[in-house]
Amino acid sequence: MGKRSEETNTEKLVQSFRDTFVRMSDEISKVIVGYKDVIDNVLTALMSRGNVLLEGVPGIGKTMLVRTLGEILDLKFRRVQFTADLMPADILGTNMIAQDEAGNRTFRFERGPVFTHLLLADEINRATPKTQAALLEAMEEHSVTVAGTKYVLDEPFFVLATENPIEMEGTYPLPQAELDKFIFKLDVGFPGLDELDEIIVRTTYEEMPPVDVVAKTEDILEMRKLVLEVPIAPHVEDYAARTILATSPTSEFATDMVRQYVKAGSSPRGLQGLLLAGKVKALLDGRYAVSCEDINETAHPTLRHRIQRNLEAEAEEISTDAVISDILEKTPQTAEAV
Amino acid sequence: MSGKQNGRFTVRFTTLREEIEQVIVGCRDVIEELLTCLFSGGNALIESPPGLGKTLIVKTLSEALDLQFSRIQFTPDLMPADIVGTNIIMQDDVGKRYFQFQRGPVFTNILLADEINRATPKTQSALLEAMQEHAVTVGGVRRELEEPFIVVATENHLETEGTYSLPEAQLDRFFFNSRLRSPDLDELREIGRRTTTTSRYTVEKKLNRDEVEEMKREARGVDVAPAVRRYASRIVLATHPTHETATDRVKRFVRYGSSPRGTQALTIGGKVRALLDGRKTVSAADMRSVAKPSLRHRLILNFEGEAENVDPDDIIAEVIDHVPESGA
Repeated sequence: MGKRSEETNTEKLVQSFRDTFVRMSDEISKVIVGYKDVIDNVLTALMSRGNVLLEGVPGIGKTMLVRTLGEILDLKFRRVQFTADLMPADILGTNMIAQDEAGNRTFRFERGPVFTHLLLADEINRATPKTQAALLEAMEEHSVTVAGTKYVLDEPFFVLATENPIEMEGTYPLPQAELDKFIFKLDVGFPGLDELDEIIVRTTYEEMPPVDVVAKTEDILEMRKLVLEVPIAPHVEDYAARTILATSPTSEFATDMVRQYVKAGSSPRGLQGLLLAGKVKALLDGRYAVSCEDINETAHPTLRHRIQRNLEAEAEEISTDAVISDILEKTPQTAEAV
Repeated sequence: MSGKQNGRFTVRFTTLREEIEQVIVGCRDVIEELLTCLFSGGNALIESPPGLGKTLIVKTLSEALDLQFSRIQFTPDLMPADIVGTNIIMQDDVGKRYFQFQRGPVFTNILLADEINRATPKTQSALLEAMQEHAVTVGGVRRELEEPFIVVATENHLETEGTYSLPEAQLDRFFFNSRLRSPDLDELREIGRRTTTTSRYTVEKKLNRDEVEEMKREARGVDVAPAVRRYASRIVLATHPTHETATDRVKRFVRYGSSPRGTQALTIGGKVRALLDGRKTVSAADMRSVAKPSLRHRLILNFEGEAENVDPDDIIAEVIDHVPESGA
């Protein structure tokens, strides 16, 4: 009896997770044309407590996406345009000298734009490394330290950083250790003809349709908690770990393609990404258990920025996505088959 | 009495290690080397590719100790003032201006210097001075750092583009050089389990400042017999290609052998190992057990060694095999 009610309760939670997620996704689509997979992956990252790196050319609606996300979740939203002369204090905040009634001068901390829920770090690779590092530390720790004092950020804290395609001039590419801190890297392509047409329709006639608030902060925190609770069977956990090892050219699990084209594989953070995002995918499919398919579905966005190609791959223009597809194809889902 | 004290050292060391292992999967050798460094009063350099948990190990260590912790991410545009602090202009009640020192993140007990080889040489040397002197000098005023002060620096050899390798003289200032290897399948699964579920371990404070300082004193107080002391010196001399005792691989692949600081690391590191084994005197085996972290960063390979990608660990292993425990 107790067990059964527990089961129905879980079923209800899974169902409500799925409903809320779909409502969020649909509401964003009222404003954003197309990019359904990007929207869903951004929401998946939010539920996994991860941060997202978006790569794409300017003007395809990245700011609009994050602003809308803030509106439908009733969360605070800030945008920081990264430039070559942006300093860490421009993000974190700074100590200002203030004068009280008695005329005494004291320091007062002026909070920077990082004190928010959703932070859009636009064109992160335009800033110098020290400034990038300041943001990434906040992202990792969910706190900032200024002049020896630690300030804790409010939850949920979610960073969506955008990056121009690396080859652009005047950019500082993120080092591997910093790239590794993003759960997903999403490639945002250019919209197609139909989408462009729809964008014209939506943006040149009337005001944008207003969006509704579909979830509150507490709902998001509850949903995030449920994600952590989803169980993973040992064989799925084993499959995910073997997939990670397969990205490393020196591992016994490496595929031929990895040995030929990869300089360095994914860190254990890649595994955390696969498992957490896999849990979200399972819930979206109405299951309270992660399958190997869930892992496969999240592999490309989770691993593409964690695999470093060698010179041969660059010369032959072999993408990391192709390497990941090869790994998923060749890595057996059960250990016995190895 | 001293026997009882030795027992207490081991208990404290083990408690601390076990607390860290509640969070960190595997890496026992690196954790033990880090703790040995702490109780030897030295600084540590950890080499590893990104994402293997260097930051987490050091952060967990600081959580298990009732000590202050700060982390600095080294970047090409980091300046010395970002580490040591800077003088800012203030105004008093009567409108007079004066300098006030704003302390930098170096004013702490445990300092994690992440990716030290990404900063420029001037910035690296600002840290290394603090490391050596346990004090910083800004605007002509010298300020002492609080004890214990330990720097744990990390280096990533995978991405060498845009990095400034530490000069030999600065590498030599690190007591131990540890290497973090990638986790295997079982360790990876355990990492997944610990980090993606609701169960999160909260690290408890196991030792306070006084206890750490007391353990440092205990380690220093361990005796080394003259014959064992000479063994450390013979090991270091055998790493010099021009010395008569140099081994074949040393002659072939090494440009410069270890400095005298290598003997200090062998001896003090050996003292901690002896205490852990419940002994009051250092044995030759204690020194051998710390030979690799003590010496691997102090051997400078020659062109042939670099070209053939020789691992200093293999050279150290050969030296250990060849140097007799007793002798002249």
